[in-house]
Amino acid sequence: MNQPSAQTLHRFVLADGSSGLLLFPVARVSPAGVTRPGTKPVPAPDTQVQLADSWRVVLLNDPVNRMSYVVMVLRRVLGFDEPLARQHMLAVHERGRSVVWTGIREQAEAYMFALHQWHLTAIIQPDEAG
Amino acid sequence: MKQVEVKLNIGAVAPLLDVIKEAADDLRDTLAIKAAFPEEDADFNETWTQDLMAGQNSDVRELLGLFDSEFFTDGAISIDSNNCDSLLRGCSALRLRILDRWLGEVSLEVIEDEDADVEAIPAAVRVHFAAYTFLDQIQKIILDHLHPTGTG
Repeated sequence: MNQPSAQTLHRFVLADGSSGLLLFPVARVSPAGVTRPGTKPVPAPDTQVQLADSWRVVLLNDPVNRMSYVVMVLRRVLGFDEPLARQHMLAVHERGRSVVWTGIREQAEAYMFALHQWHLTAIIQPDEAG
Repeated sequence: MKQVEVKLNIGAVAPLLDVIKEAADDLRDTLAIKAAFPEEDADFNETWTQDLMAGQNSDVRELLGLFDSEFFTDGAISIDSNNCDSLLRGCSALRLRILDRWLGEVSLEVIEDEDADVEAIPAAVRVHFAAYTFLDQIQKIILDHLHPTGTG
C-alpha cells in the first residue's frame, strides 16, 4: 500500500481576493502521540497527525442580517466571488451553518474576528477531517 | 466617489431615532452579538472584546451622525463610499440590539417579512419594529446603490 503524502495542502483566500495554498508537513508519530497545550494526547499508535493544526471557520445563521448583506460580507472578508458567497449564504440560511474556510488557526481567528466586526456569528473548530 | 442622498420625512423618522438612540446607549458597553472566543486566555479575550467594542462604537457614532441638526432642517442624509461600511455595520449592530431587547415576542417569520402586517406586531413595540425596518432599509439602499463589495 502506498504511504499517504507526508504533506497536506491548505487553501487560503485573503480579503483582497487573492488565494493560495499552504503546505504543511505531516508527521508519523510514535505511540506516545503528539500533544499541544489544551489538547489530549493522540493515543493511537502509528497514526498520521498533522503538526500544523487545521481549523474551520463556521458561519452560523442569524435572523437579522439580510441575505445580500451576508453575501457582501463574505466577499469582503473572505474574498469569495458572488456565486460562492451566495452558495455559503444559502447553506447558512437553510442548514444553519456553513464552513466558510479551513486552514491554520491564526488565520481562522482573523477571519472569525473580521466576521464579528460585521456582526455575523462565526466560530472556529478543529477540522476533524484534517 | 459614489454618493446617495436620501430625503426622509422628519416627522416620521424622529420617533424612530428615539429608539435607535436608546439602542445605541445600550450598545456602548456590550457587543451586539455575544463574543465567541477562539482562545481560553483572559487577556487575549479582553483585547478581542475591546477591539470589537471600539469598532462597534465608532460605527454606531457614524450612523447617529447622519441625524444631526442639519438633518432636522432638510430631512436629508448623505451616504457615500467613505462612510457606507461603518453605516452598514452600525445598522446591523443596532438591529441586533433592537431585536434582542424589544422584539423577542415577535415571531421570526414576521421579523423576516419585509411586508409584515403591522397588526402582527404588538402595539407596544410597533415603533421599535419600525426602527428595525428603517435601519434595514438604509442597509438596502447602501447595498443596492453603492455596491460595497470592495472588489473595485
